[in-house]
Amino acid sequence: MIGTIAVSTGSLLVLVGLWSALTNRDIIRMIVGFTIFDVGIHLIMISVGYISGGTAPIISNLSDIGVSYVDPVPQALVLTAIVIGLGITAFMLTYAVNMYEKKGTLEIDKFEELKW
Amino acid sequence: MADFDYMKIVYAALTIFLTINYGLILQGIIGKIYARVGKRMGIRIFQPYVNLIRQWATRTSISHGVMYYLGPVFRFSGGAGILIFLPIIYGAPIFSSFSFAGDLVLISYFMFLGTLGMALGGGESGHPYAALGVSRGLSQVTMAEIPMIMAVYSIAVQYHSLNITEIVAAQQGSFLNWTLFTNPIATAAAMLAFLGSMMRSPFDVVLAPQEIPIGPPTEYQSQFLAMLMTNRTIFPVAKTILFVNFFFGGVALYDNYLLTFLVFFLKTFLVYMWSVFVGLSFPRFRVDHSIRWFLKYPMLIGLISIIFVNIRY
Amino acid sequence: MVEPIYLIVIALGAAFLLGLLRKTGSALQIALTLAALAGMVFISAQWAYGIIKGTTQAAEIFTSGMNPPLSINLFMGRSEAVLLLLVNSAAFLSTMYLGREHKKTSVYMLMLLLVFVVGLNGIILTRDLFNLFVFIEIVSIASAGLIALRSDIRQLGAGFKFIIAGALASGFMLIGIIFTYYATGSLNIDVITGMMSPALASAGYIGLFLVFIGIMIELKPFPVNGWGIDAYQASIPPVSALVAAGTATAMFYAFTKITAMTGGIFLNASMYIGALTFVGMNVVALKQTAARRLLGYSSISQVGLLVLVFSLVKIFGIAGGELIVFGLLVSHALAKAVLFWLSGIIGKESINDWGIIRKRNILIVAFAVAVGALLALPPFPSFFAKWELITSLAVKGQYGWIAVILGGALLEAVYLMRWFGNAVKDSFNEEDNLDFRFGTLVPVITGTAALLALGYFSANLSVFENNINWLLPAVVIVLLLLDFLPAIVKNILLIAAIAWYGYPLLQAIEGYRSIFAAIFVIGAVITLLPGFMNKGRRPGFYPAVSMMFAGLVGIIEATDMLTFFFFWELMTLGSYFLILRGKKSKPHALSYMLFSLGGAYLLMTGFSMSFAEAGGTSIALDILKTVSGSSLSGIITILLAVGFMTKTASAGLHIWLPGAHAEAEGDVSPMVSGILLKAGVFGLLMTFIALGDQSIGKINIPYVLSWIGVITALTANYMAAMQEDAKRLLAYSSIAQMGYALFGISLMSHLGWLSALSLAIVHFTYKVILFLSVAGVVHRVKTRNMYQMGGLITRMPVTFFMVLVSIIALSGIPPLAGFSGRWLTYNAVIEKGWLLQGVVAGVSGLIAFLYLFRLIFAIFLGQLKDVHRRVKEAPFWILLPQILLILLVLYLSFFPGAFLRPIGDIVSEFHPEGALVWNGATAVSEFGYWNGEAVMWVFIALFAANFALLFFLNRGAQKIKQFNIVYAAERPARPETTHFAYNMFAPYRKALGFLEYPITTKFWSGVADLMHSIAGFTRRIYTGNGQTYLLQIIVFVVISFLLSNGGK
Repeated sequence: MIGTIAVSTGSLLVLVGLWSALTNRDIIRMIVGFTIFDVGIHLIMISVGYISGGTAPIISNLSDIGVSYVDPVPQALVLTAIVIGLGITAFMLTYAVNMYEKKGTLEIDKFEELKW
Repeated sequence: MADFDYMKIVYAALTIFLTINYGLILQGIIGKIYARVGKRMGIRIFQPYVNLIRQWATRTSISHGVMYYLGPVFRFSGGAGILIFLPIIYGAPIFSSFSFAGDLVLISYFMFLGTLGMALGGGESGHPYAALGVSRGLSQVTMAEIPMIMAVYSIAVQYHSLNITEIVAAQQGSFLNWTLFTNPIATAAAMLAFLGSMMRSPFDVVLAPQEIPIGPPTEYQSQFLAMLMTNRTIFPVAKTILFVNFFFGGVALYDNYLLTFLVFFLKTFLVYMWSVFVGLSFPRFRVDHSIRWFLKYPMLIGLISIIFVNIRY
Repeated sequence: MVEPIYLIVIALGAAFLLGLLRKTGSALQIALTLAALAGMVFISAQWAYGIIKGTTQAAEIFTSGMNPPLSINLFMGRSEAVLLLLVNSAAFLSTMYLGREHKKTSVYMLMLLLVFVVGLNGIILTRDLFNLFVFIEIVSIASAGLIALRSDIRQLGAGFKFIIAGALASGFMLIGIIFTYYATGSLNIDVITGMMSPALASAGYIGLFLVFIGIMIELKPFPVNGWGIDAYQASIPPVSALVAAGTATAMFYAFTKITAMTGGIFLNASMYIGALTFVGMNVVALKQTAARRLLGYSSISQVGLLVLVFSLVKIFGIAGGELIVFGLLVSHALAKAVLFWLSGIIGKESINDWGIIRKRNILIVAFAVAVGALLALPPFPSFFAKWELITSLAVKGQYGWIAVILGGALLEAVYLMRWFGNAVKDSFNEEDNLDFRFGTLVPVITGTAALLALGYFSANLSVFENNINWLLPAVVIVLLLLDFLPAIVKNILLIAAIAWYGYPLLQAIEGYRSIFAAIFVIGAVITLLPGFMNKGRRPGFYPAVSMMFAGLVGIIEATDMLTFFFFWELMTLGSYFLILRGKKSKPHALSYMLFSLGGAYLLMTGFSMSFAEAGGTSIALDILKTVSGSSLSGIITILLAVGFMTKTASAGLHIWLPGAHAEAEGDVSPMVSGILLKAGVFGLLMTFIALGDQSIGKINIPYVLSWIGVITALTANYMAAMQEDAKRLLAYSSIAQMGYALFGISLMSHLGWLSALSLAIVHFTYKVILFLSVAGVVHRVKTRNMYQMGGLITRMPVTFFMVLVSIIALSGIPPLAGFSGRWLTYNAVIEKGWLLQGVVAGVSGLIAFLYLFRLIFAIFLGQLKDVHRRVKEAPFWILLPQILLILLVLYLSFFPGAFLRPIGDIVSEFHPEGALVWNGATAVSEFGYWNGEAVMWVFIALFAANFALLFFLNRGAQKIKQFNIVYAAERPARPETTHFAYNMFAPYRKALGFLEYPITTKFWSGVADLMHSIAGFTRRIYTGNGQTYLLQIIVFVVISFLLSNGGK
């Protein structure tokens, strides 16, 4: 149940993120859209490894063996993904700052020097 | 060349000499006819003799340069060459002395040698009308020859030969064997092409620059002109002989030499008269007109003759 | 052997160290970076060498002490080692190039660069899906940083678009990875591959699809790649070079891994996406003028080609696919890197400003090599790869794909060759400077040299046995290296080389090849003689001319199709360079190259088809014979014939010739017109010897060709008569003569071939003489317009004599050598019964008189102009070859049997029936006879007699002055107004002007216009708006999903 909710929410967030990245001309808003998109993906990732009623995949003593726990791999992956997502977001923001400094605007369609 | 019969040179000289005489007489007669049609008295029959001899007798000390000098030489060599390459009288080795050198393709192309030399000679005179005449002449001849080429192919396929002697041989026996009757379409095409090469109306615009008293003939005087005139005397005859050979059964050697010559004169004269007859009847074409004209009926007739032999043979 | 993990360790270590060395001098920083990269190059080279030599085994590297799938593992195999070597070398060279840029930015640039390289190495090495994703992200971030190094507004815009598109793609990929994990329970590529056999759950399918499409987007598929092109254009050149050589290579390799992982279920999709990208990018590139954007288009199209080719190799199970893919990949990576580096040295935005490249000749060489490698011309690896690809596709019967690949390549040739032509010909501002220094030059030279060297090796790697004689291309290289010597020395060297190589060749070679070998070798020596006139260095001439002659000799010697094609293209390339040297020859050289390439592609297809038809084992030229009975023989004949007809410039394919031959340099025109055209005749002959009289359905191919031949002759002769320019006149004349040759071959009989072969020889003699004569005249009077000349006979009598003899020979008037061709043609036509064609050929022969008279009259006769009164005879070195050839013409005219008999013996091998019977000097055919010697003697006798007579009678004649002519009542004003030469055949034009209507030119320019308007229209999808690009990507993913799923 929780897994289903998580997947649905994640998918919804992905769509919302894409929607806002596609519809907002403001670069900062686009970046926010991407962040939401990222979060959605992360949510989907975690929910894939989720096992209903499972515990955290930490084995501290022998009695924990055999207890049902959620898949650790997606959790590890999502950590990496979050880091990368953060890096990219930071990069985008750096770009946004620089672009604003050069041109005094954050409208994406003002940056069409290169085309065709 | 070890087995070369040196008498052939004598025969060839004889051929040329006789043809000159015949050509001069022919010129006189034609001149007379032209005058009478125009209700004039005209020249004496032997006037061409006088003209030619007088011309050979005068001297000049003018030359425009080397090529100018060589022009008449090329011209006359070309004309005389055709004459001696042609088998003139079927069965008479004397009058086909050098026909061993080549077939009708050789003769067709050798004809242009004189033309080319003349064109170049006139060109060096520096006279613009010389070049003008050449450009008109070349333009016209390219189209006038189309029906001729077609006719030649037609009869070559018909007789399965390019050898003029063989073509004449195939027409012997009866006059019904003449190409005129066995392949009338090709004959028609060729006779129209014939008009284009005889320098008579309606295809004589090539000569137009010469009619006003300027142009090549005035640049070429005295013996230069004499040599050109000599060529003018034999060249149409040679051409007529070629046509007689192709289409009118040629001239076979009869036991009676006189009869042979009579047939020869009759045939060549009548063929020659064809161009005179047309020339007297029609006004002059401009070059672009004549080009277009040749591309119409003559070419069509030639085309039919080609299709005809393609189906028949 | 150093462990591959050190590749990553070294780069990361150096990057950290750079962070510590922030404050030190830039020299130390760059030295450290270069050292690290050199170490990486060394490691990858060591592995590549070891694995290829077999001394080292491929190795797996495990991390964190556990075996996969529990841990990440790397794999170093043959492909990996080679690609790493390529990527790391490109990185090293680009860093070297960056040397100065680094001072302008900061140490962070070097750190970014190292991280970037780590990412590339990782992508190539890793066998873990998620790890692959991480490395891709590293590369993305690092490249986004590198793109905007200078932080100008264009770079920022491009970088931002790049990063958002990358984020979107990686998002898809991430979802895909997690779904794949969900379905398979593993992230290890090899493990997943093993689990592909059972039908996948839909989650697994979607997962794999998203991974696949994510990688595809990273490869920048058409039409959703505007962001990628912007990045190529905006980055500084060394970064673009690195992206083109490094990122594209690594991403392509990742794509191959994913394809293997998915078990090939998306191969159809990648095949179509690759094809679309390859063709689409080449189309839109047609309108592009910004140099680096154009390179971006080209890079992406080449990656598209790689994807397409890889997919085809996998789908059809093509053996030896590795060489195909690697050949294309390496050629592309190196060539594109060289081009981007060059674009930095040039420093010009527009491709129309590249004329400045001529300041340094070595840059032109590099440019030529790079363009050649991209176009898969010999001797580059791509050439061999393409050959294998096309032959393999033919074996599989995939002719549609052959058409797509070759068609796309032709489009690419359009813009690359146009660019090259502009660079070689366009003017430039002398004050502009090149960024020409050690750091920029070494990468360019290394890349160029590597391309050449790899070409040599890939010929040996080819699965096909070939007998390429590398001595011939080596001559070109030697002359290239000796280009600093004076022209005279190089001329001597080349003539000596040709004589040294050609003499034994001529003695050894037999059959119909010997005729062409004689033309090529003797012709080469004779036409090189005028080269002694050059006092300077004549830079670039000797490599080009030696390339052309090497190609010509090569096609004679070739016994297999690959070798033949190799030298055929080499000859084309050499002659293109030669033609391009003419002052105004830019557009003509381009169209020459394009028609030649188009023709070459047809040849390639024809060869491949016969290879496939003959069982796909042998590529010997002899197998053409074995396919003559197969069902495809008709098509093969057409492909080969049309391919060769582009060289002989038959009607419809001729529009390049008049300009190319007319605008070429004075001594080049005789080479290309008198000699080069015979290569086409040779090819046609070769085709018909092997394949014989073929038909498709009821259409007889030789019959069609016979019409093309005579129509070519007719129209070209007419056009020649209408020219004012002497060289254009001769060029049209060459077209016409090749039309006769085609007609002769198409007759498929003894006499027909005899006429074609004898024409090949005599045309060589008189056309070389005529072009050289005209060259001599043009050299003296400085114009090519004939009406501006006139009366030169007195000034240039020797030249006049040469032209006189040549035009009589050309016109076919007896007694000179040209008549043999006419006589043979009449006989052959009647024998065959193709009378109508014979009539057209005859008429066009008559029209030839027009231009021949015009040529000699307008130049040498008529009125001498005042400005030419002091003109001298042509220089000795122009006259010498003419004199040698005129002796040959006269010899052949006196003794036609001397060449007709041996040629007849050769032709009898193929057409024994209908041979001439020689009765002494008389040639007797079935229909007629002809004694050339007798005609000659009669002519000489008559001529001598008449001349003697006239000379005797007129012995006192003197030459009079120019204007002493009878000119009515007036006096000629000036030579200009008295010389009748302009528009000489006006009435002719009036009557037949319709023949001049440029149907062919209109057709081809219509094709060109159409392609360009398509390009102009299509490229509007690149709006420049980042959001549009995002939307395009999403739509692309959805459509791809629907299509690939629907195809399932």
